[in-house]
Amino acid sequence: MTDAPHLAAVAVTVLGLAAAVAAGRLTRAVRPALAVLLDFLTAAGLIGLSGDPGWDGVLTAAAVIALRRLLGAGLRLSRAAPRR
Amino acid sequence: MTVSAEPLPESDLREVIGLLVRLIESAGALIIFTGAVWAFVQFLRAGTGGAGGGARVDGFNRIRLGLGRFLVLGLEFQLAGDVLRTAVAPSFTEIGQLAAIAAIRTALNYFLGREIAQERAEIERAASAPPPAATGRPA
Repeated sequence: MTDAPHLAAVAVTVLGLAAAVAAGRLTRAVRPALAVLLDFLTAAGLIGLSGDPGWDGVLTAAAVIALRRLLGAGLRLSRAAPRR
Repeated sequence: MTVSAEPLPESDLREVIGLLVRLIESAGALIIFTGAVWAFVQFLRAGTGGAGGGARVDGFNRIRLGLGRFLVLGLEFQLAGDVLRTAVAPSFTEIGQLAAIAAIRTALNYFLGREIAQERAEIERAASAPPPAATGRPA
């Protein structure tokens, strides 16, 4: 039963990879596909935090989520930058 | 003769609150999981559909907005679980873990809320913008 959040997080990660491919086909661009992947990975991190993760789990999830949000912010900044 | 009448022993209270926390957290995780599956199906349907360029990008933004809403709703359930956890006096280690998890969830909730507002504004701007043919350019 304690493995359920972990399994769900893995399933969401796999769905995210497939959704990113579909989003890439939809928009014909890499950046939106990466943004979709980051959204799904954030969802996976949140699911992984439910239950009783312990200090290691909390710190790992915090680091991974922070890194993903940072990468997402970087993607948005590069999208907002004026093109020459 | 002394009669000790305890309305609800602390151990029972802990158990009840533990069960409630587990239920609420599971509901939050379930909402996030459902949102991910919903977004996956929508992306798959939109990605394999034959819509034109503008409709494709519009559809993409709407699906992302939907996924963001699921994430925020799930997070709010999980934050409710965190609030409930503070009802029983935990140990210092548990307080530290609770603080760390609540901080992560609160920060994410704030940033996701901002992103959703931005995304919604973009969709509304795109919907209210005049079509290219109506810009007054000579044919």
